[in-house]
Formats: sequence, C-alpha cells, structure tokens
Amino acid sequence: MKFYTELIKGLWKENPIFRLVLGMCPTLAVTTSLENGLGMGLASTFVLVCSNIVISSVRNLIPAKVRIPCFIVIIATFVTIVDLVMAGFAPALHKNLGLFIPLIVVNCVILGRAEAFASKNSVFLSIADGIGMGLGFTLGLAGLGAVREILGAGSLTVWGNLKFVIPGYEPMILMILAPGGFIALGIILGLMNHIQAVGARRKGTALPTPVHLDCRHCTICKFGA
Amino acid sequence: MKEIIKLTSVLTLICLISGALLAAVSSVTKAPIEKAAMAGKRKAIDKVLPAKEGVKFDVEPLDIIDNDQTWTFYVARDQGKFVGAAVEASSDKGYSGEVKIMVGINAENNVQAIAIVAQSETPGLGARMVEPSFKDQFKNKNINTTKWAVKKDQGDIDQITAATISSRAVVDAVKAGIDVFTKHKAEIIK
Repeated sequence: MKFYTELIKGLWKENPIFRLVLGMCPTLAVTTSLENGLGMGLASTFVLVCSNIVISSVRNLIPAKVRIPCFIVIIATFVTIVDLVMAGFAPALHKNLGLFIPLIVVNCVILGRAEAFASKNSVFLSIADGIGMGLGFTLGLAGLGAVREILGAGSLTVWGNLKFVIPGYEPMILMILAPGGFIALGIILGLMNHIQAVGARRKGTALPTPVHLDCRHCTICKFGA
Repeated sequence: MKEIIKLTSVLTLICLISGALLAAVSSVTKAPIEKAAMAGKRKAIDKVLPAKEGVKFDVEPLDIIDNDQTWTFYVARDQGKFVGAAVEASSDKGYSGEVKIMVGINAENNVQAIAIVAQSETPGLGARMVEPSFKDQFKNKNINTTKWAVKKDQGDIDQITAATISSRAVVDAVKAGIDVFTKHKAEIIK
C-alpha cells in the first residue's frame, strides 16, 4: 500500500512542478510545445528512476558530508549514459530529445528526490517515488506545453506528424516566448491552489499546511522540523 | 584527519567507477554514433540533390579549400555527367547560435533544394525556417541571377514574419555555399 501512496503522490499532492515548484529552469525553457514537454518529461523520468535506484541502494555507504557531490556524480553519469546510448542506438529519438538530455543534469527534481527521498528510503519505495515524480513532472510539462502551444502557435503537435491546427486563430506569439512561460505557469499554479482551497472549504477542513510536503531539507520555514 | 581520508576516498571511488562506466559505454557507442551522424548527413544530401525517376545517385565527397576553410562537396554524377552537388554551409548570424544548412545545386545552375541541418532559433518564430513555406522558396532559384538576400534587404527571399534575423542567417549560409561553388565550379563539375 505504501508503494501505491508513494507512486501517486507526485501526480497532484506533491507534483514537482506545481506543488514542490522544483525544476523551474527546464520547465520554463522547454514547454513551448506539447511534444517538447513530453520528451523532456520522459527523459527525466528515466534518469530519475535510475538515479533513485542507485542512490537508495548505496545510501548507507555514502558519508553524509559528501553526499551532494556523490549524488551529482551519479546523476551526471546516468545522464551521459542515456545521451550516448540514445545517440548511438536510437538516433531518431535522440534528434527529438537530444537537446533536453544535458539539461537533466541541472534538473532540481532529480537532485531534490535523491536528497529528500532516495537517500532515506528503501530501493523499492524509491522506485515508486521516481516513477510517480517523473510522471507528475511529465504531466506538468506536457500540460504547460499544450497550453502554451495552443495559445502561442495555434496548433497542437502530439508527436511527430500528428498535428492539429486551430483554423482562423491568430497566435499570441508572447505565449511561446519566455514571458508566456511565466504567465501560463502562474495561472495554472493559481488555479491549482484555488481548486485545493475550494475542496478544503467544502470538506469543512482548514487549508492543508505544507507539513505533509517533504521540506525537511529546507530550513527557511520550520514546518518540517 | 581520519574523516578527511574517508570522505576523499569515497568520493574518489565513486568518480573512478563513474569514469570507468562512462569509458566503457563510450567505447561501445562510439561507432554507432558516428554511423548515425553519417546516415543523418546522407539523408540531408539526398533531400537536396536531384533524383532520376525517384532513384538517388551515388555521391562522392570532394574537398575544396577556399580561404583556408575546407568545404566538402557531395557530387552526384549520372554516367560520369555532373547532375548536382550538395554542400553544408553555416552562418553565425542567427538569433541564437549557429544555423547549419545543406544546399544542393543542379546542373542547370539552379538551387535544387535546401535542408536545415541544425538550428536553435526561437520556437514558433525563427525555428519556422524548417517549414516548407520558407525553405521551398529557394527551389529552382538561379544561383547567378537571384539576389541572395531577404526582401527587407532588397533581395529575392521572403523573410519569415517577425524572424528577419533568422531568415537572414539562412540566406547568408546558402549564399556562402553557392559562392564557393561558383568560384570552384570547374573543379567540381569536371
């Protein structure tokens, strides 16, 4: 049962983009279309699951003081392996995703999950966490990409040649440029907070505090203490 | 002191394992990566060279040295007769990074077609250079009589709306390739 909880928490409750607000750099940079968002999300999911497995299995061997450099080396190694293998054996896929792979190294979601989850939990639960967080990240990126592509380009490219065009729509080019990323992200974040607040009010409970979020590593507020 | 040694040795060990792993992966993937890059290039060459009844000609690479720069022309011949040549050219005048194109020139001194090999322009603006509406206007343009510049600069090529800089970069690269071809034509078509 715990496996299931860890698996689904990334989809809404602890969504890495909209709830943990991690990985903003790739989020704002690649979500200019649905296809880009999906590609970045899936590549990140793969690296996240691999790095979670390795880090949770060596978590007792790594001294706490050097854990961050160790995690970075492990993650960078995986990213490079993915990049090389994909370039060599799946060049078509690499052409679509190649741009995003090096970006994964600097993706806070992966280092964040290594630090906050994989270094404290078993391999089994870390796999669930990796898959859930990865899918949550993918969903967030794809949703944001779809909104920006529809508004900014007037079309929706699902994958490859599968493309829908909205006839007679004058695209708002702003939406696929950097400011559009901030605007779309802000509106979606606001909507999600609103939905959560309304849901809490209907149930008659107070708006949940971020205690259930994994913010132990952060010392700015004392919620996790 | 003991702690420092422990921390250093753990970190060193992890880096060593990573390095060895990467070296192993790299040695396995090196050949396929080169092959894939070659296949990608071959595809771009095929796109810009003329074909007879749908059959692509064999191409042979020919290195031309112009101003200390090596340009590799891929020359297609039909029973010894020159039918076209493709060359990769690039421009650094783009909006973000280098724009790399492949231009094919046929025996009638016309541009057969161009292909965008690599670009990192703004999605939705400059990146629209890969769309046929922009790319295809280069087709069948005479290399000598066409004014190789965008309309904004009194040339013959329609720039992409709101992406004049990216359009200029493409035209600039095409022109560079054509100039080398014109200069060394005798050597290439012989």
